[in-house]
Amino acid sequence: MLNVKNINTYYGRKLAIKNASFTVSPGEIVGLIGPNGAGKTTIMKTLLGLTKFTGSITFDGQQITASNHKYLVNVGALIENPAIYPFLSGKENLALYSRDKDDLNRLIKRLGMTAYIDRPAKSYSIGMKQKLGIALALLNNPKLVILDEPMNGLDVEATISIRKIIHEYAVHGTAFLISSHVLSELQKVMTSVIILNHREIVMDVPIDKFQNTKISHYRLKTTADDKQVQDLLHANNLPFEYRDKSLIIRTQDTAPIQQLLCQHQILLTELSPIRKTFEQAIVNVLEKKRGAE
Amino acid sequence: MYTQLKQELYKLNHRKLPWIIITLMLFFMIIIGLAMGRTYSNLLVMTCYDSSTIIMLILVIVGSTIFSMEFQHGTIIPLIYRSSSRSAVFFAKFITLFLYDLVLHIAAMILTVLLNIAPIINAPVSWTAIYKYHQPLVVNMFMNTGVDLITSTLIISLICLTSCLINSNTAVIAINALIIFMGSDLSSSLLLAHVGPSSIVRWNPFNMLNLTTQYYNYATYHVTSMLSNAQLLTGTLCYTVVFLLLAYWAFGRKKF
Repeated sequence: MLNVKNINTYYGRKLAIKNASFTVSPGEIVGLIGPNGAGKTTIMKTLLGLTKFTGSITFDGQQITASNHKYLVNVGALIENPAIYPFLSGKENLALYSRDKDDLNRLIKRLGMTAYIDRPAKSYSIGMKQKLGIALALLNNPKLVILDEPMNGLDVEATISIRKIIHEYAVHGTAFLISSHVLSELQKVMTSVIILNHREIVMDVPIDKFQNTKISHYRLKTTADDKQVQDLLHANNLPFEYRDKSLIIRTQDTAPIQQLLCQHQILLTELSPIRKTFEQAIVNVLEKKRGAE
Repeated sequence: MYTQLKQELYKLNHRKLPWIIITLMLFFMIIIGLAMGRTYSNLLVMTCYDSSTIIMLILVIVGSTIFSMEFQHGTIIPLIYRSSSRSAVFFAKFITLFLYDLVLHIAAMILTVLLNIAPIINAPVSWTAIYKYHQPLVVNMFMNTGVDLITSTLIISLICLTSCLINSNTAVIAINALIIFMGSDLSSSLLLAHVGPSSIVRWNPFNMLNLTTQYYNYATYHVTSMLSNAQLLTGTLCYTVVFLLLAYWAFGRKKF
């Protein structure tokens, strides 16, 4: 669907995106992650034909350039702030770009905006404006939706609702390219991740790679006194750490420790795997990249 | 470009300022009528109660916001990516301003007709009375409106250019207002000061702003403009195209 090959974007003489290549397939939800100034918004703007670039961007096999983006008719986007005319009502803002009245009304209902959609947009709260911005991006059943920090200003309920809607659209084949600083939010929706650092893509992998990371340690809790268990492990040369009122043991030691505890008639109350969190994994990737530079 | 034009007209139609400000124009025309009295009845009818200047000022106020509001609210981004090209967005805005200009001139003509029917300000004058250029007054009014439409299109192209070059809406309004009110004087000052050969200096763009005033008052303005009506018309059309192309070039290179 979207094929990006070796794109370089310049702001004046300054290189804003360096040799970026990736693809987005129908139904895929791609998270675009990177520190501030890494080039997330610039990539999004480049895809929308808003900046000049070298390389190639094709959408549904059609070439997109800065001067010709007629093939972006099936693309919706929310870039930086919601693009809203304050003198128009929410519905009028949507009607301006809507090609299907039924789709427009369905979207208003689905996003829970019926109560205020006829009010002038200038009276909207930040959250309401953000929802309207997302509605504008989802208008006309787009094949690709580009969302830059979509959860900005949204309350918990709205965040959950938007997450559900993204999933619904993705099930029907809409692809998403989403950037967010709230990594935990992104983790809940995305199917693959692109990590940007210093204006270039450093990783482009399915999200499973982060979710199925190797279990390095286990958290151990028992019916016995912590001190007693620690002494027992010491005596048997089994390494451990004591953190957050729990014993942290190595994966390879779980079997001998269970046997040892059993011999001493100590029962387990918790033995849970410890994986790297998504945030930790991302930070590690970025740190490794910085170290290599 | 049809879609973009429809969108521009939709936005213009839903804004209050462009339509409220028309009442200011009508009020201004009545004031001019009252001030100039019965002595200039024919001239008032021909010039639609001297509506040219106020129309240009309205165009500057409304026109500068037609671009700046898009930059200010970030709406330029969907406007561009949802269109086939930047040129479609730019020329849709230009055509919208031109159509608005047309509406302003039609409104001025309608009020002129009403004021000339009802003897509220002046005694009605005959529409068939021969006035300037050996033509009936009604023809004079239509011709003068047509000429003013060309002069105001020059202003529209200037608004487009300054709006794409300068981000501040206030600066765009101030610069264009200064050009409208002082451009003509600046040109005559340049010609009188002999800063260069008058055969060249008389073709400066500010001189073209004399087109409408010279059309209804040839004797007075030809002396200062040093160009014939036809020359002024040609110059105005040429500068309109040049400013418009420059504005399009600036819009095409603008970063959002």
